[in-house]
Amino acid sequence: MKKVITGNQAVAYGVILSRVDVISAYPITPQTTIVEELSELTASGRMKTVFLKVESEHSAMAALIGASTGGVRCFTATSSHGLAYMHEMLHWASGARLPIVLVNVNRAIAPPWNIWSDQSDSLSQRDTGWVQLYCEHNQEVLDTVLQAYRIAESVKLPVMVVLDAYVLSHTSEPVEIPTAEEVDAFLPPYCPEYTIDTQEPMAFSTIATPDHFLEFRYKIQKAMEQVPEIAKKVNDEFRSRFNRGYGAIERYGKEEADILLMTSGTVTGTSRIVVEKLNRKGYDVCGLKIKRFRPFPVEEICKEIKGAKKVAIIDRNLSAGVGGIFAQELRASLYSREKRPQIFGFVSGLGGRDITPELIEEAIQYTVDHPQPEEEILWLGLKK
Amino acid sequence: MDRTVEMTKQFVFKGASQMPMISVSLGHMDWNKTGAWRAQRPFYEDKTSPCSAACPVGNDIVGFIQKITEEDFEGAWNLIREENPFPGVCGRVCFHPCESKCNRREYDEPIAIHALERFVSDFASNLNKKIRKGPGARKNKIAVIGSGPAGMSCAYHLAKLDYDVTVFESSSLAGGMLRTGIPSYRLPKDVLDREISNIAELGVEIRTGIPFGEGLNLDGLKNYQAIFIATGAHRGRDLHVPGGKGRGVFSGLDLLKKINLGRKVTLGDKIAIVGGGNTAIDVARSVVRLGKKATILYRRSKEEMPAFGEEMVEALEEGVKIRYLVNPIRIQQKDSLHRLECLRMELGEKDESGRRKPVPIPGSNFFFEADNVIIAAGEEVELFFLPKGLEKREGIVLTQRDGNTGARGIFAGGDLTSNQRTVAHAIGSGKKVALAIDCYLNGKDSEEALRQILTGEGPSISMFRYLHPQERLMNPHVVTFDELNTDYFEPSRRQRETKDLIKKRIKGFREITSGFTEGIAMEEAERCFSCGTCVGCENCYVFCPDASIIKIGEVLSHQVDYDFCKGCGICFSECPRGVISLKEEAR
Amino acid sequence: MKKMEIPLSENLGHGHLACAGCGAAVSMRLTLKALGEKTVMIFPASCWSIIPGFWPYSSIRIPVVHAGFVTGGATASGVRAALDIRGDHETVVAVWAGDGATFDIGLQALSGAAERNEDFIYICNDNEGYMNTGTQRSSATPLFAWTTTTPVTKPKENPKKDIMAIMADHQIPYAATATIAYPEDLLRKVEKARSIRGTRFIHLLSPCSPGWRIPSEITIKVSRLAVRSRVFPLYEIENGISYTIREEPHVVPVKEYLRLQGRFSHLTDLEIEVIQENVERTWERLTRKASLKLK
Repeated sequence: MKKVITGNQAVAYGVILSRVDVISAYPITPQTTIVEELSELTASGRMKTVFLKVESEHSAMAALIGASTGGVRCFTATSSHGLAYMHEMLHWASGARLPIVLVNVNRAIAPPWNIWSDQSDSLSQRDTGWVQLYCEHNQEVLDTVLQAYRIAESVKLPVMVVLDAYVLSHTSEPVEIPTAEEVDAFLPPYCPEYTIDTQEPMAFSTIATPDHFLEFRYKIQKAMEQVPEIAKKVNDEFRSRFNRGYGAIERYGKEEADILLMTSGTVTGTSRIVVEKLNRKGYDVCGLKIKRFRPFPVEEICKEIKGAKKVAIIDRNLSAGVGGIFAQELRASLYSREKRPQIFGFVSGLGGRDITPELIEEAIQYTVDHPQPEEEILWLGLKK
Repeated sequence: MDRTVEMTKQFVFKGASQMPMISVSLGHMDWNKTGAWRAQRPFYEDKTSPCSAACPVGNDIVGFIQKITEEDFEGAWNLIREENPFPGVCGRVCFHPCESKCNRREYDEPIAIHALERFVSDFASNLNKKIRKGPGARKNKIAVIGSGPAGMSCAYHLAKLDYDVTVFESSSLAGGMLRTGIPSYRLPKDVLDREISNIAELGVEIRTGIPFGEGLNLDGLKNYQAIFIATGAHRGRDLHVPGGKGRGVFSGLDLLKKINLGRKVTLGDKIAIVGGGNTAIDVARSVVRLGKKATILYRRSKEEMPAFGEEMVEALEEGVKIRYLVNPIRIQQKDSLHRLECLRMELGEKDESGRRKPVPIPGSNFFFEADNVIIAAGEEVELFFLPKGLEKREGIVLTQRDGNTGARGIFAGGDLTSNQRTVAHAIGSGKKVALAIDCYLNGKDSEEALRQILTGEGPSISMFRYLHPQERLMNPHVVTFDELNTDYFEPSRRQRETKDLIKKRIKGFREITSGFTEGIAMEEAERCFSCGTCVGCENCYVFCPDASIIKIGEVLSHQVDYDFCKGCGICFSECPRGVISLKEEAR
Repeated sequence: MKKMEIPLSENLGHGHLACAGCGAAVSMRLTLKALGEKTVMIFPASCWSIIPGFWPYSSIRIPVVHAGFVTGGATASGVRAALDIRGDHETVVAVWAGDGATFDIGLQALSGAAERNEDFIYICNDNEGYMNTGTQRSSATPLFAWTTTTPVTKPKENPKKDIMAIMADHQIPYAATATIAYPEDLLRKVEKARSIRGTRFIHLLSPCSPGWRIPSEITIKVSRLAVRSRVFPLYEIENGISYTIREEPHVVPVKEYLRLQGRFSHLTDLEIEVIQENVERTWERLTRKASLKLK
């Protein structure tokens, strides 16, 4: 059934269809409509779900850790400060290997107060051991929520699904909503490996000495290393059932080009138009959408580099002292590889400033004009 | 992970591939023997209670009181009778040094131990149980001279040791001083008869009307392998004043004997009694019951009077008058009236008895008139009939500690050999000699045997421990009040036996107190701290942080799990009765 | 003498790592006897993150969920939701948190959960300080007490927070104080809590031998004196309004309680007087609350 819905509503549909057992969330702009939709649905009895209206985001994640340990499917959504507040518990969720799905609406972190789109919040959590998946449009949002549970419950790691504030969260787009039966066929009930059982009592998250801690962390890394293969399998299955799918990365424009434009989130949508326009003008440029940030899709990217000499990558985030985070990850992952194109790291759009087609063109033009970037960080649209 | 299985295996992981995904627990900590942390080690050790240590009879007081709390009155009686054949007597007439030493007296009021002992004996009297007779084959023959508490106690214990005992009694009825010296209102005759017959039923032969020295002498006892002389002290001490042996002047002991044997007594109206001990009081209260007026003249003050406190109170209630610090120096007689010339006394320095010596005040002479004068100034032993070779000094026969006189096979005890003239001491003495005779006839060292069975520091001894040396082991340390934890006790008043109205009491010689009911006895018994003996309160079990106090089913095992006990000392601290001791952990 | 009625089950196995004479170990052992096997217990960070033992061992014989310091109230809410969804309405969810996690850093989560009347028993094991990290002050540390962050030169200047009043004002169905020297009282309260639905709170005073500077063998005695001196009265509050106070017949001056503890050894007579006055005032206020009748 096709409906014209906002990104937040798409999230809500994804959660309903995933038959989530426990939701625990705290309101924060611009996540609020997710929470409101889900409140309605759980209160009306349409979802047999417990909604814990906790008093903070930290408690939201803590409650889900409790619930997930109890062996049920869990969900929360947040943004910006809420995600930052949860930080301690994000570490805990992955350390405890709990397949929790969290939807984060990318929003800038204060001060100054700013409620608009910015990837710094989710990317600040990149070391917490969560899989991170970014979305370009509302259909992808809904679909990614469904896939997220499959991935999470396979590798036993929590998954963060990310969408832009307002541009997606509050913007309506047509979305094909699968039926419950279709989703049930794709997403079986959750079967935890360990759970709370008074007949076979055990203590979860017991203190471990240096003798064992390293190995537990090693296991998490190994789980992360399985994500590319599993995510691909899940997506292939999804595609076969629903006739649509999303790779860790997706190439658009020409098959091969001198310049690769890498983007994530809604910027990709704008970039598609720009690349097409520039191709028609004869620019040798193609586009690479990055869906999965963590684990960073190194293999997939290397395959797509082919003959490219330059990569222009646009970050809607800033790690002060470093620059764009996607750019940093890219540089790090290509360092040991054979093909190492020049990387032009553009930072733009922080705090919700529009990344217009003009700005993207400017970036590509800069890349065309310069053999290598003149600065580590290339500020796009900055008013000096 | 099965809770019921003790997981003692220590997990060893070679690497990540053997480890579970998360740090979920796989076993318990039972392998971790935290006992290695200990610097001090607690252990259970029964210790001696002050009451039992003070009891001249050697009763296991804490033991029998605990049985009362368990409503096992018959068990209490059996326990008492391991040591004492006379609970009915002692419960009524003993001076209860146990109560003077009872630790509860430092908290609120001591336990009414005498009343509990009496209760048990009264209960048993209603049981109508036949005491078992000894088995067929008997060992040696023993002769006991005197059927007072010392003699009968000795006969009792010897009979239980399977000896063939014959008791020779000079008077017509058995009992000695218990019969003749103590009035019925204190010790009813049926109680005495019952306890004597309990002894006889063990196979002890009691032959009355056979005085030693006249009808009987050592030659006549050649067939007996040992002889116990317990003839007591029945002769009243003279006052040694002019007129002290005149007509109408009687010995208190003689008078009591007459009354107790039911013989006729002729007395005037006003009776003066000279003396300050129990005999003086017994005489005074007896003559009151004969309708007379009694005045006691005592040469020291109230504080020094040796009579039992309760006796004095009851005497005063019954109208007996006591005049202190007066001493007669002459008794004049005019027809049937007696005039005692007395001097007032004042207290000087302490004498050998530890009491302040009475010193006459010159010129304080006054006269006291009475129809009869009764001298109750102490008792002495008769020595004339005793076999030769017995050492005597200062009015008593000397023996070794075990009662051996030195003459072969001849033992002595009771009032004959001691100035501590109480029923309890006599009973204890008889028991000790029974044991000594058993050692003597079996070539055992009685000194050693006695030493092994002392309660506390002694002189109290336990026949049970003589017979069962490996059981009821007890540290001789006597538990003091500050070794208890009184946080677990509620203050409560001591129960009192009900007494008859005074005007009813003095109408006759019936017993004036009623014993405890079962409910009251149990309530009073509950007050007992049980110093040094575990009663299973389980504080140790409840408060142990390491679950290292081992129970077997519902009961304590009195074992500490030393694999895990960290030596914190909480059990030691929270034991209300000092049963747990701490010692340094040897390393 | 009658013995106490204490269940025989042992769900705190020996071999655990608590200090010798640990008051909390006695508390835990007794509490587990009352809670029984159909319980899951959440342990926010405290001494009890260590005491049960290192991985792969645990000496607690019921399911345990170790959790972040702050998260007692929240984690319990989640576990309860999961159990209910799985159809298990029998297993009781309990939290065992220290005073730090309850009075301070976890107060928000606890308050949130209590306001929602989440269905769990929250047991605050109060040893009056951050003992696991080496005896630092918490808002549960009593007035004038020494801790490493309130040294003798400047002991704690503020009185202990009244956590029971805070919890009562959430209108939760049941709140109670308890301590180890009164084991049957403690068991009764835990059992009573177990039978009620909604947020139940038990404030459990557990003397800490190293933290309070007391010899380990007087742990129980100190607990008893806390009650007898009225420093820690035993009472229950139902639905935030109905108070039941246990009368203690043997009241002693606070000095009896304070003089046994090294953490109070620096107290002047004036300071002891102040404490005595505060105790009396608090007692008076408590008894007044108890006597209020609903119109």
